[in-house]
Amino acid sequence: MLQCLFFLSDSGEVMLEKQMTGHRVDRSICAWFWDYVLSQGGDPSKILPVVASPTHYLFQLFRDGIIFLACTQVEMPPLMGIEFLRRVADVLTDYLGGLNEDLIKDNFIIVYELLDEMMDNGFPLTTEPNILREMITPPNIVSKMLSVVTGKNSNVSTRLPDATASCIPWRKTNMKHASNEIYVNLVEEIDAVFSRDGALVKCEIYGEVQVDSHLPGLPDLTLSFSNPSILNDMRFHPCVRFRPWESDQILSFVPPDGEFKLMSYRVKKLKSTPIYVKPHLTSDTGNCHINVLVGVRNDPGKTIDSITVQFQLPFCVASANLTSNHGTVNILADKTWSWSIGQIPKDKSPSLSGNLVLEKGLQIHRLDIKNAPSQPYKGFRALTQAGEYEVRS
Amino acid sequence: MAPPPAPPQKSPSPSQPSGKSEVSDLKLQLRQLAGSRAPGADDSKRDLFKRVISYMTVGIDVSAAFSEMVMCSATSDIVLKKMCYLYVGNYARCHPDLALLTINFLQKDCHDEDPMIRGLALRSLCSLRVPNLVEYLVAPLGAGLKDGSSYVRMVAAVGVLKLYHISAATCFDSDFPAVLKSLMLTDPDAQVVANCLFVLQEIWNLEANKSEEASRERETLLSKKLVYYLLNRIKEFNEWAQCLVLELVAKYIPSDSDDIFDIMNLLEDRLQHANGAVVLATIKVFLHLTMSMTDVHQQVYERIKAPLLTLVGSGSSEQSYAVLSHLHLLVMRAPMLFSSDYKHFYCQFSDPSYVKKLKLEMLTAIANESNTYEIVTELCEYAGNVDVPIARESIRAVGKIALQQYDVNAIVDRLLQFLEMEKDYVTAETLVLVKDLLRKYPQWSHDCIAVVGNISSKNVQEPKAKAALIWMLGEYSQDMPDAPYILESLIENWDEENAAEVRLHLLTAAMKCFFKRPPETQKALGAALAAGLADSHQDVHDRALFYYRLLQYDVSVAERVVNPPKQAVSVFADTQSSEIKDRIFDEFNSLSVVYQKPSYMFTDKEHREPFEFSEEIGNLSLGQESVGNARRYDESDKDLLLSTSEREENGGPNTNGPAAAGYSAPPDYNSSLVSLSSQTQSETAISDPGMPKHTSQMTLAIDDLLGLSVPAALAPPSLKLNPKAVLDPGTFQRKWGQLAVSISQDCSISPQGVAALTTPQALIRHMQASSIQCIASGGQSPNFKFFFFAQKLDGPPSFFLMECIINTSSAKAQVKIKADDATASEAFFALFQSALSKFGVL
Repeated sequence: MLQCLFFLSDSGEVMLEKQMTGHRVDRSICAWFWDYVLSQGGDPSKILPVVASPTHYLFQLFRDGIIFLACTQVEMPPLMGIEFLRRVADVLTDYLGGLNEDLIKDNFIIVYELLDEMMDNGFPLTTEPNILREMITPPNIVSKMLSVVTGKNSNVSTRLPDATASCIPWRKTNMKHASNEIYVNLVEEIDAVFSRDGALVKCEIYGEVQVDSHLPGLPDLTLSFSNPSILNDMRFHPCVRFRPWESDQILSFVPPDGEFKLMSYRVKKLKSTPIYVKPHLTSDTGNCHINVLVGVRNDPGKTIDSITVQFQLPFCVASANLTSNHGTVNILADKTWSWSIGQIPKDKSPSLSGNLVLEKGLQIHRLDIKNAPSQPYKGFRALTQAGEYEVRS
Repeated sequence: MAPPPAPPQKSPSPSQPSGKSEVSDLKLQLRQLAGSRAPGADDSKRDLFKRVISYMTVGIDVSAAFSEMVMCSATSDIVLKKMCYLYVGNYARCHPDLALLTINFLQKDCHDEDPMIRGLALRSLCSLRVPNLVEYLVAPLGAGLKDGSSYVRMVAAVGVLKLYHISAATCFDSDFPAVLKSLMLTDPDAQVVANCLFVLQEIWNLEANKSEEASRERETLLSKKLVYYLLNRIKEFNEWAQCLVLELVAKYIPSDSDDIFDIMNLLEDRLQHANGAVVLATIKVFLHLTMSMTDVHQQVYERIKAPLLTLVGSGSSEQSYAVLSHLHLLVMRAPMLFSSDYKHFYCQFSDPSYVKKLKLEMLTAIANESNTYEIVTELCEYAGNVDVPIARESIRAVGKIALQQYDVNAIVDRLLQFLEMEKDYVTAETLVLVKDLLRKYPQWSHDCIAVVGNISSKNVQEPKAKAALIWMLGEYSQDMPDAPYILESLIENWDEENAAEVRLHLLTAAMKCFFKRPPETQKALGAALAAGLADSHQDVHDRALFYYRLLQYDVSVAERVVNPPKQAVSVFADTQSSEIKDRIFDEFNSLSVVYQKPSYMFTDKEHREPFEFSEEIGNLSLGQESVGNARRYDESDKDLLLSTSEREENGGPNTNGPAAAGYSAPPDYNSSLVSLSSQTQSETAISDPGMPKHTSQMTLAIDDLLGLSVPAALAPPSLKLNPKAVLDPGTFQRKWGQLAVSISQDCSISPQGVAALTTPQALIRHMQASSIQCIASGGQSPNFKFFFFAQKLDGPPSFFLMECIINTSSAKAQVKIKADDATASEAFFALFQSALSKFGVL
């Protein structure tokens, strides 16, 4: 049970306070927290997610320069606190089209309204963006235009979401759409670690099936994959029926309206990766020569773009002078270097120092829509992106 | 835990209004608008409201505008209404008289035709939290619970809890709990059901100690019928409500194994939920249900492995942190579980330090014969990490794995390679580890000493590392040709050595070296003793004096005392007792796991979950001492091996606490003996650092050391107890809260006693025979908890109160005594001990 929520700026200023229960939490807790952050080096992103203050237990989440701080005095599941804060951050990002101090300060009324619907008396209610959007209209350009034209500028819908009355909590009973379309996005992330001699130490692939659905009525969809055997541990949106997946590896569901994450999964062990990074270091007294090569290992058949190599030099390096034959090299904070390569050219391999986007993994076999009045448009896209690609040197 | 003094409020920054004039300006404008029906009035109101709320948000007190805000609240604009509700909710408590003004329009809104407005108004009405307005709440709440809109019913259900917190009596008089109960069982909307469950749990948990009926109601929340009803509807609930239901199911006691399998089948797909909180709550249910079925329990471990690993790897680092804390707990109970999945715990460059640290702990915990090589190779990679604290942690991890006895050969080589890296912090950490390793595996001394001998003591600055190096110089001086000379040069710089720990070790090392190579060391030892005697640090001075006198008395005796043949340490003491670990495991999926302490050690009494271990006495037990406990564990956590001086510094409060008070030997003599006794202890076998040392044990140890004969049994105590002592529970509780702990000690129970302790009643009857009465007891094998009391027979009425926690598997009793007359508690404890020693024998 969370007693209070605070939003803090990255300089420790309290931007917003929302008391949840009768036990008011004094603002001085924020001052305590900020002192704690300073004592730990002042970087909010490095602070433990669960901190004990002398009076309260604090959950904190740092996103885009904003600290979300929740206080409790009772025992509760830690992931509940952490996940809830994450949802708050996600919903706000979704509503405000981003997240920063100014956006929050400009829209604090909406933020209060949202928090009111997301939590009552410290217990989370609904955090489903689709449902919230029906209760509180996001402050977008369309609604601003409408308010100018009609002279009304209420951002609260006059009707309660139908979903609260429907037996499928994620969908309105009676949906009408001008468009009749569904998009499926397959996004996979490869996290890999290589040893200094190029051997693969660890490789993990996480995938997500994102769907953007604008279908009328109550469509019942099934989605099947051509190679479901590579999937390891799936988790599903509540709309997915469990039995068809158990028996036939078919995703059967009535989709919510709008964007949602249909499923996420882990891909079983992979033996090779599509690109390589080879760092080479030679040193003699006080001088160290660094040479990094990047290239495509076995052509995945699709283009790889937005390759960036980042590396941190140890503190003992006084100065460094790095150049590349392709792309641009930048110095970030803390002796961290960033080398943006972009696409790998055909004729040469870029040398010097990976976020990268490439294609691999699960492939969609087919998507069938039943129960739909007219033939809708089906859009597919599959995309693999590197999460962490780490090479040791 | 007292709240810290509130820090001075930050002065408002220049951009903010300086206060009064702004507020009065706002008041004026609001007043002008209040009655206005001109077009555009709502827009101007909205701007003004927004300004008021933004001041409120940054922490400026705008409560002065309360009546004006209420006057402006008559509007049909819902955003204005919401802002007004927000404002009123914030300030009603400090203006109870003005809050009455708001009741009217809130009550009117509760009858609005729009369910959203009805709901919001009801929520605001209940959030005013003004005690004397409670009467106005009852009717709208009653109507709200019967409202046709589920949104309003959902708000009303939580409203009942708010009412309960303002006035429990009103809540019960209006019979709201019964209404909620029927709503919970019949309402078609799952969110309403969930809110009813949430509210009823809260209310009955808080009431359970006050009335029989309430605790029965709490029991019904765990009845089979209700649990299955909720489980069958679980897919209708949203993710948070699912967590709530799952928490409830985890407390449910299944009737038989079919029951268990039914529940697990119903919940199996919850392991695939997108929300990590649901997954973890499901895992808790599975683990708790199968606790008594060993085979199934093992299968559950296998089943939950994949979801847990996914939670660690995907998602945010905050999530990884919380899940890794739980994995750590699981791996303690099922070490083999993740042994082939070790790669999931390799650190990523971008992981925050707190995640890396837990991953290192996991790697240490899962290392076994099959994976040690890979894990140690990986850990060695981190030793050169840019992140120095993590580099240090990983070196320590390598050492811990070595101490677990797997593939020591390869590890020692790796450690010695660390020494060749010539980075100060790597060398420092490694030296400490090599010292620990040598104590456990003396057979490796040749390889290690060869490398350690090459380290220049000038490159070692950290006290712990320096102490370790000096310890090795002393211990293996016969194998290191330069040892006496290195020690000599260190002794020459005695005055520059800041750490007392290092100076203590220098003294001991000089002694040891002297016994092995007298001619080369004599001069250095003389210098060390002279410097030590002149030292301002009490312990250093005492040790030097002690060595000096010992040498004067007899050199061969001195050698036997300072440098006896040592046994290899076989097991280093674990920092947390298994009882505590079990306790934390019971609290799976809670903050205790993250803090690695059971919740009774850190949550406040009034906030603790009453659903725990022996409710009726649980409430009595918490006070200041639990804080002390927690701290003690913290301190003992700090190091794998506690060196003597360190223990004295860190553990100061323990050894000098209640024990020192009753101890009356001359101070300097006393402390040198104490330091010696604990030194010999730590050199031969590591004593349990978590165990406080106390008067009687200490006296025994010292008496023993001085060769005094110790009486085989304690003399019969002179204290007489009143066989018919009476104390009512209320007085007991009050006294327990008021009095300080006069004795806190562990004692052991005879095997016969353990055998006799099948139920708490056995011990209670036995103690009655010794005039020690029991006031509350609880628990089941192996953990029992008792609260005893006794009264002095003659003199003014004087009571002894005692908390006794018995663990039969370790045959230990933890005893805390509080007494009206603290001076007599020693005698009472002796009496209790003698009674306990007879338990089961007769």
